[in-house]
Amino acid sequence: MYATAAVLFFFYLPIIIVIGQSFNSSRFGGSWKGFTLNWYVKLFTDRNIWHALTNTLLIAASSTLLAVILGTLAAWVLYKYKSRIQVAHNVIIYLPLVLPDILMGISLLLFFVALKVTLGLFTIFIAHVTFSLSYVAMVVYGRFQDFDYSILEAARDLGATWNQAVRKVLIPYLLPGIAAGGLLAFTLSLDDFVITFFVSGPDSTTLPLYIYSMMRHGSPAVINALSVILVLFTFIVVISSKKLGEGKK
Amino acid sequence: MSDFLVFDGVSKSFGSVKVLDNVCLTIKKGDIFSLLGPSGCGKTTLLRICAGFEEPDSGRVILEGHDITRLAPNRRSVNTVFQNYALFPNLSVYENIAFGLRLKKIDPRQIRREVDSFLELIQLTDHADKMPDKLSGGQKQRVAIARALINKPEILLLDEPLAALDLKLRQRMLVDLDNIHDEVGITFLYVTHDQSEAMSLSDEIAVMNNGVIEQTGTPTQIYEAPRTSFVAAFIGDTNFFEGDVVSVKEPYSMLNVDGFTSVEAYNDKMIKTGERVYLSIRPEKFTITINRPETTERTNMVQGTVEEIIYMGYHTKYWIRVNEYLISVKRMHDRYMLDEKMLTWGDPVWLSWHADYCYMLEQYNLRDEALLTIPDEEIPDESGSNDTADETDSNDTQGADEAEARP
Amino acid sequence: MKKKGRLYEVLLSIPSMGWLVIFFVIPTVLVIAMAFRAADPYGGIGEGWTLESIRDLGNPNYPAIIWRTIWLSVVSTAICIVAAIPVSYHIARLRKKIQDIILLLVIVPFWINFLIRIFAWKVFLHPEGLFKHLLVILHIADSDTLLLYRPGAVLVVIVYSYLPFAIMPIYASAEKFNYNLIEAAMDLGASRITAFLKIFIPGIRQGLLTAFVIVFIPALGSYIVPDIVGGPGSEMIGSKIAQRTFVDRNLPHASALSAILALAVIVPAGLSMTRQLFKNRKTMGI
Repeated sequence: MYATAAVLFFFYLPIIIVIGQSFNSSRFGGSWKGFTLNWYVKLFTDRNIWHALTNTLLIAASSTLLAVILGTLAAWVLYKYKSRIQVAHNVIIYLPLVLPDILMGISLLLFFVALKVTLGLFTIFIAHVTFSLSYVAMVVYGRFQDFDYSILEAARDLGATWNQAVRKVLIPYLLPGIAAGGLLAFTLSLDDFVITFFVSGPDSTTLPLYIYSMMRHGSPAVINALSVILVLFTFIVVISSKKLGEGKK
Repeated sequence: MSDFLVFDGVSKSFGSVKVLDNVCLTIKKGDIFSLLGPSGCGKTTLLRICAGFEEPDSGRVILEGHDITRLAPNRRSVNTVFQNYALFPNLSVYENIAFGLRLKKIDPRQIRREVDSFLELIQLTDHADKMPDKLSGGQKQRVAIARALINKPEILLLDEPLAALDLKLRQRMLVDLDNIHDEVGITFLYVTHDQSEAMSLSDEIAVMNNGVIEQTGTPTQIYEAPRTSFVAAFIGDTNFFEGDVVSVKEPYSMLNVDGFTSVEAYNDKMIKTGERVYLSIRPEKFTITINRPETTERTNMVQGTVEEIIYMGYHTKYWIRVNEYLISVKRMHDRYMLDEKMLTWGDPVWLSWHADYCYMLEQYNLRDEALLTIPDEEIPDESGSNDTADETDSNDTQGADEAEARP
Repeated sequence: MKKKGRLYEVLLSIPSMGWLVIFFVIPTVLVIAMAFRAADPYGGIGEGWTLESIRDLGNPNYPAIIWRTIWLSVVSTAICIVAAIPVSYHIARLRKKIQDIILLLVIVPFWINFLIRIFAWKVFLHPEGLFKHLLVILHIADSDTLLLYRPGAVLVVIVYSYLPFAIMPIYASAEKFNYNLIEAAMDLGASRITAFLKIFIPGIRQGLLTAFVIVFIPALGSYIVPDIVGGPGSEMIGSKIAQRTFVDRNLPHASALSAILALAVIVPAGLSMTRQLFKNRKTMGI
């Protein structure tokens, strides 16, 4: 019990500090120099941030879409066919989940350089689909664990073509898994730094990249404010999705 | 009546396991026809071939003159009631039943009329908007049946539909199924491992074992005139005897059964002197008495000792020791038993039976003796009416032993 | 019909498998291949094949870096697992409703951007920060001691980043664990601690294994953490690869380093996975 409390305290400690510092008018957060909303103002008036945010959302949405399609397809194939091909398939899907980001980052960078592809939003898009695919596949595959295959046979028995059976029976069943996988993919994409850093071009900034550059070169205090906003935003998203989930029941 | 559904030489293997071996069956229109057999006998595979979920390696399936062997399941005029119902979890009871009709793009008002009438048939009108996970097993079963029947198939396939229900519900559903069949008049092809289901419901039964049809006939034919030792032992209970023909006096013959006695048996099999025959005599065909019965023509009798007794209320099962044989005998209590002197262990008794009660088997296999109940292994059935120890689990799902591979 | 099934299987596998082969497998192989190319003086990949980058692996700094990477990863993984065990044990035994709440509390910080969480630590451990002041007041530290920019800081932040990843699988195992076994052990005379060590720990073996893989391997590849809170004395392979790529612009060199990391990680992961999968197929009778 004490372990749990200690761990939770450990988890939230730095966050509390950050929230506090976001209101601290001291530039480097060494000591309290008075309450201010200055950093928040700076945050909202920074055009670069909005540009980065737009890129981030664009990429997250598009990569999630493609990852969901590929990942769901993968989960179906892994579920239905159990052959040697699938063993290889399974390994290929699972490996990205356990490998360090940096490997995927550098390997994709080399790949694009070797093919002389310009680095930019497109390469970031491809990278994000690549790592999200496995996550979506895993989540949707989990949904297949309790799946009763005979409902598909029942649909066919009642006159449905494969196409109709998939649309009217399979997809509705998988929807919670697909939604969860999509949400996961979206979050991972929003959040990704290392891989994006490796495959991005001079003109393609995402929010995490921008945050990093601010950390390195800019005013660190604004980041505090940004952090608070992001924390709030995450919280709202989580609470509302929980409410939505409960509402459905 | 024309041959409505014909299986012509159907064979199927999964890997190295031959699940169906040259199966030939003819089913008449309007019948309730059962495929009865233990797990792994191939009955579910045969059903799935009829539904279109498997294709036979050889042979044909012919429905009303049309060869449907290679036809896709959604193009057949055949509907299935699945063992675990397979109701669509995201659709309500109403929408589940309406599913097939919606696919055919039938006018919604017409759909409503038909679904409502079927809801009435299965007595679930008030549950139309419920989701499947809120239904009980019996209700799900009825929805599955309605969903299949509403499409007016030529033949309805039922895959062990009552296997997952408890006893009382099963008995009620049997009656319901029978009523529905009478109402709707569609041919049923019913798969089960439960003989009481098959016997009580069917117009005809095919008994299957190891991919082969052992016998086809009405329930009475199957019970009273089993063709093989498997059928005799799988359905109900029986006693097997082995004997040599000593003399033939049509239509009876005299057999010498080693270690037992001379037995006169009804002969419908065209046997000759010197041949070896196998007899099946059901336990209820014996009369058990303390005193020697009168010697009359065609009556066989033998002396023995009571070795085991199981009192079951309206009948008693005895095992009588006669030399090497342990003979199972059932005696109905058709009078007030408290006034009777009850037999007890060790009592000397006489067994007698008419020659007509012995039945000669066409095929005998020693290993089928394993299906018989002997005293140590007696497992009393819940209903008290079925005494054969089921060598299968009652909730066997879709013939797991039939090495099903996904299509 | 069997042939048609095979055809469909292949067709349906092509999108996901194809994508991953093109954008994952090939690039990874490329990493190893590129280690043998010459560097373009202006950055990027040059012409011709050479063993120069391989030879560079003999750089005297490297063993120290590799060693530090390994021991930092091992220690942080160990700490994560050791911390996760009592926490999971506790949570798994709570009432369902409270379990969900606590799990939510554990997960919520995780949703906040990775960079920001690391940045939070940078703020927290800042030489002029509150924490430092506190330590000075308590006489645990001098006003000169640096909390940041040392391996210790890297360790703490790695643990911070991956602890939820350790808790999740261990909790999953702990949740499935049958706690009657511990009572049975105590009934037979074992002390609480003995029961815990000899019954519970082996019982959650699966979760421990998963936690190890989920923490250790990413930790090996840590890049941002040493980059932000570590100093020159706390470089890890990850930060070295990044340096070679972006600062020195020597891609073949970065490849060589990455290749080592990749081989060290992929080979055991892939092997154990394939073995597991083949074992599963055997028990399923396929």
